[in-house]
Amino acid sequence: MGAVALLPLFLSTGALAQKIIGVVQGQLHLENPVWAEAKDPKVKAYSFREMVPTVPAKHRKLYPHLPKEVCVAALADAPQKAQEPTLIRVGGGRTTPVTIVVTPGTKLVFKNTDPFTHRLYGVGMPAFGPNDTSRGGTREWTVPGPGKFEIRDELAPSLRMWVVGEPNVKSITYPTMKGEFFLNVDTPGAYSVQAYFAGEKAGAPVAATVDTADVKVAPLVIGTPQKKGDD
Amino acid sequence: MLLTRFWLVLVGLGLGMAIFVLSIAQSVHNRATARALGEGLSADSQVVAWYLRDDARMRAGHLIKFALDQDIAKGLQGASKSETKLPGAFKDSVLSALKKINQTIPEDQAFDAVFAIDQHGRVVAQVGYPQAQGMEDFELGGYPVVADALHGFIRDDTLVWDRTYRVVARPVEFEAGAEPAGAIVGARIIDDKFARELSARTGAAVAFYVGGQRTAAGAPEEFPKSNLDQLISDLDALEKNDPDYKEKGRSGVREIKGVSSIYIQYTRLQGEAFQLGAGYAVARMGVDVKTPFAFFAVADDKDKAAADKILAFGLAALAVVLGLALTFLEHTRPLRKFEREAAKLGKGEIDQLSPSRFGGIYRKIAAELNDGIDKVASSAGGVSRKAADLTQVLGELPAQPQMAAFSVPGGDLVPPSLVAVGSPPSTAGGGPNPPRRPPPGRPPGAAPSAPSADPEAEWHQVFQQFVATKQQCGEPIEGFTYEKFRVTLVKNHEAITARHGARQVKFTVYVKDGRAAVKASPVG
Repeated sequence: MGAVALLPLFLSTGALAQKIIGVVQGQLHLENPVWAEAKDPKVKAYSFREMVPTVPAKHRKLYPHLPKEVCVAALADAPQKAQEPTLIRVGGGRTTPVTIVVTPGTKLVFKNTDPFTHRLYGVGMPAFGPNDTSRGGTREWTVPGPGKFEIRDELAPSLRMWVVGEPNVKSITYPTMKGEFFLNVDTPGAYSVQAYFAGEKAGAPVAATVDTADVKVAPLVIGTPQKKGDD
Repeated sequence: MLLTRFWLVLVGLGLGMAIFVLSIAQSVHNRATARALGEGLSADSQVVAWYLRDDARMRAGHLIKFALDQDIAKGLQGASKSETKLPGAFKDSVLSALKKINQTIPEDQAFDAVFAIDQHGRVVAQVGYPQAQGMEDFELGGYPVVADALHGFIRDDTLVWDRTYRVVARPVEFEAGAEPAGAIVGARIIDDKFARELSARTGAAVAFYVGGQRTAAGAPEEFPKSNLDQLISDLDALEKNDPDYKEKGRSGVREIKGVSSIYIQYTRLQGEAFQLGAGYAVARMGVDVKTPFAFFAVADDKDKAAADKILAFGLAALAVVLGLALTFLEHTRPLRKFEREAAKLGKGEIDQLSPSRFGGIYRKIAAELNDGIDKVASSAGGVSRKAADLTQVLGELPAQPQMAAFSVPGGDLVPPSLVAVGSPPSTAGGGPNPPRRPPPGRPPGAAPSAPSADPEAEWHQVFQQFVATKQQCGEPIEGFTYEKFRVTLVKNHEAITARHGARQVKFTVYVKDGRAAVKASPVG
C-alpha cells in the first residue's frame, strides 16, 4: 500500500470531485535531512562510504523520494473540518508518508509494518511519549493543533516524520516519481497549492481555481540550485 | 653481644627494606600492568574496528556479483516502474538469482541475509530473513545505508532490528547513465558465531551489546568464559561518567573488580547502532597484586622458574650463618669458657676465678664470685683469703706520709691518686673495694719488696714480681721492658721523696680489679 493509496482517506464525500493537476520540479536540489545527516563522518554512521563512478553524478545526491516525502496540499481560504483517520505505515526505516499536512484534530493511525518493534514518540510532546508498537500493531495520535510536529522512533534513529497541522488544508496528495500530482477537490473554489518537504513549505504556492472541470496549475518549484554548478 | 645486636638491627632493617621494596614493586607492577593493559585494550579495540571495516569491505565486494546479475538488475528495474504495487512477476527471477549467487560465496564470507530492493525502497526478493516472509509491503528504503545505495554509493552500516546486523549495500544498475535500478543489501548477524570468529582472528575477548544487554560474545581459550557476562555490567556508569564514550564512541580503560580484575574498553559500533548505544567491549584479565605477598599467588611456574633462587637462598643462608657465628662468638664461647673456669674452681684446681680472663659481664660475675667466696670463707672462720696486711708484711709504716699508687707503662693503668696507708685500693667507681690476696703463685716474701740499700736490685725484683703478676692475671707482657718500668719507678720515687721527705720508697706489687698494679710507700 503506497502513499497514493492513502488518498481516499483525505477525500470528502462530495459527489463530483475535480482534479488539480500539476507537477513539482527541482526535487533533485532538495536533500533528505536524515540521509544528509547520516553521511556526515562525525555522526559515525558508517566505517566506509564510497561512490560508484558509473552512477551519474546528478543521481549521486540524496534527493527525496517524492511519493513518500513531498506532500502537496490544496489550501482553502477558510479552515476545514478534521479529516478522516489517516493511516501511517511505519517500516523500512521511515514512515509512509514522511511528511503529511492535515487539519488539526485529525487522527493519525500508526501501523507497524516491520517484523520487529518500534517505539514512536513526539519530540517535545509529552502526550505522545515513547511506547512500543509491536509487529502489525497500531498506535493512534490526534494532531493537537496548528504547527509542525516531529515524530521519531527510539529504536530506529533514521525514522523521522513531520506532521503539519494546517487548518485550511482541503486535500493532499503525493507526486509520482516524475513529479506529477493530482489533487482531488470536491468543492469548487479558489485554492492555494503548496508543497511541503520535511515539515516545511517547499517553494512558493500556486493558485488554482476549481470549477466544474479539472484544472492544471503551474509547476511547483520545490528546489533550486544551492550553489553554482549544482544543477 | 654487641655484634649480635648490631646484626639483629641489620636483619630487621633488611626485612623492613624488603617489605618496602615489595610494596614499591607491587605499586610499580600494578601501574605498569594497568598501562600495558590499557595499551593492549586500545590495540584490541582498534583491531576489532579494523576487522569489522575490512569484513564489511570484503562482503561489499561480494555484492558486485549480485549487482552485475542481469536477472536481478532487470527485475529491480521492472519492479521500480510500478509505484503503487510491487509487481509479483519479477520476484521469482530475482529470488532465484539471489539464492544462486549467495551459494557461490565462501561460507565464512557469506551473508546471513540478502535483500534486493527497487527504487522505491521495497524489498523485491530476499533470502535469509524469514521474519519478513509473506510481508508484501516489506521495505527498507528509509535507512540511510539503502538510500545511499539507491543514490550511487557503497557503504556499510550496523542496524538493530530484531537482532544486530552488519549491513553493506551497493547500487544495482540496469542502464548506463541512468538512475540505479535498485540496490542490493547484504546482512550479517552479529551473533556468538560472528563474535567467536572475530575473537579467533583478533585474539581479543569481545562482547557485543545493545541497549545494555549482551547479544554476542567470543573469547580466546585462556579467557574465563564465566567472565563474559561481567563485560557489560559497567555500561550504566559508562553512559553517565565517560564523556569520551558518549561523544567519541570509545571509553577509557575500565576495571571491573572481582575475584580477578577485568579490564575493559567499550567502543560503539559504527552505523545507526551508534545512536542506539550498541557497541562492543574488548576485555583482558588483569593480574593485580593486591598485597606485597600476593606475588606468590599471581606468579606462575615460569615466573617461579625464572626467580634467582641461588641468590635468595644464598643470602638467607649467609644471614643465618652470620647470626649463628656472632651468637657463638659473643654468647656460647664466653659462656663455655666461664663454665670451664667455674668447673676448675669447683674441682679446686684454682681457688678463685681470674676476672681478667673473661670479658663483658663474665668479668664482673667472676669478680663478684671471688668477693663472695672470700666473704663466705672469712665468715665461716676459715683461712682468710684476703691480701696480707701490709703492716705485717712491710713492717711499721708511717701514718703519714701516704702511699701512692701509680701506673706503669705497658702495665695496668692505676689512677695516680694518693690513698691512705692500709686502706684498700679504691675501685673505679670510688666505692670500697674488698681486700685482695696476692696473686696465686707469688713467691712468699717476694712481695712486698722491702727497701734495700741497692734500689736498682730492688727495682729489678719489683719488675720481676710485676711481670709475674701480670702473667698470672693473664695480661700481655709483650714489649714491657725493665727500662720503661724503671723510668716510672724513678719518677715516682723522686716525686714521693720530694713530697714526703722520705729517704727511701718501697714499691709493692699487688692485684687491683684482676690486674697487676704497683704502689709506692715512703720509708724513713
